[in-house]
Amino acid sequence: MEKLHNRILSDAKLKAADIIRDAEEKAMRIGDESRVQAQKDADEILSNANLEAESIRRGILSSRIRANRLRVLDEKNKIVQSVLKSVEQRLSDIASTDQFQPALKRFVAEAVDAVGADDTVVRVGFQNAERKSLDSLGRTLPTGTRFVVEDKPIDDLGGVVAGDVGGKMIFNNSFRARIERLDNQLLTTISSTIFGE
Amino acid sequence: MVSWSRDCLSGMEAVRKIVETEAQAKRIIEDAKSRAQEILESASAEAQRVRQTALSRAEQEKARILKEAREKAEADARSSDEETNALLANYKKLFENRKEVAVKKAVELILGG
Repeated sequence: MEKLHNRILSDAKLKAADIIRDAEEKAMRIGDESRVQAQKDADEILSNANLEAESIRRGILSSRIRANRLRVLDEKNKIVQSVLKSVEQRLSDIASTDQFQPALKRFVAEAVDAVGADDTVVRVGFQNAERKSLDSLGRTLPTGTRFVVEDKPIDDLGGVVAGDVGGKMIFNNSFRARIERLDNQLLTTISSTIFGE
Repeated sequence: MVSWSRDCLSGMEAVRKIVETEAQAKRIIEDAKSRAQEILESASAEAQRVRQTALSRAEQEKARILKEAREKAEADARSSDEETNALLANYKKLFENRKEVAVKKAVELILGG
């Protein structure tokens, strides 16, 4: 009888020990798996954080660099425009310099040549130009060429416009037209002179 | 008759004892199950605590990384501002020094001499 009693209790204790051991093993697995998963999740958070940090860094830097590039371009443009304004001022006053006569002759010759007609009308107009000197130039032109001296500077800055009598062919050789034709070269010349580029 | 009664009693006593022992065995197992449940609950709670700690540390580290990245980028951006300011100041000087030459060259180009 005693044996049976002991046997029942012994079996129960063995079973209880199995239950506890199973629970402890399962608890160990839960702990291990949880640690591994937590580490994995933490690594993912940090990995994403590094990507986000790089994105933030690029965002801040690129917008500031872009803004600074714009500041530089704006300043360069202002400088070039300021030079061009001085150039225009210089051109409008050209009549009082010794560059005027040779330039005028060249402008007229170019315009007449470009029109290429026998009955060319040449109009000239400069600020503060002496009418006498302009008229003397008119007398040197080929026969059949009509020479007109305008009271006001052509295209505001002055220059020469030639055309045939019918007005079909016109060549504008005013300072403003020349500036427009030379736009790229002018910008390059001014930039390279000021900025050394 | 007495002998039968004695036998009968000892048999009943034996059954009672077995029932008691079985009950005791059942209690042992129930206690073990209860203990096992506690172990598992404790393990789950500990796992949750470990997870929270790890994630919390990671979030703190993330905040530090982002803060550092912002500060570094702002510092680099300030450096870019300073470089740009220096460049603009240099342009101003170049403009003052070379404006006359640039105007002269441009005028010559337009006059076509």
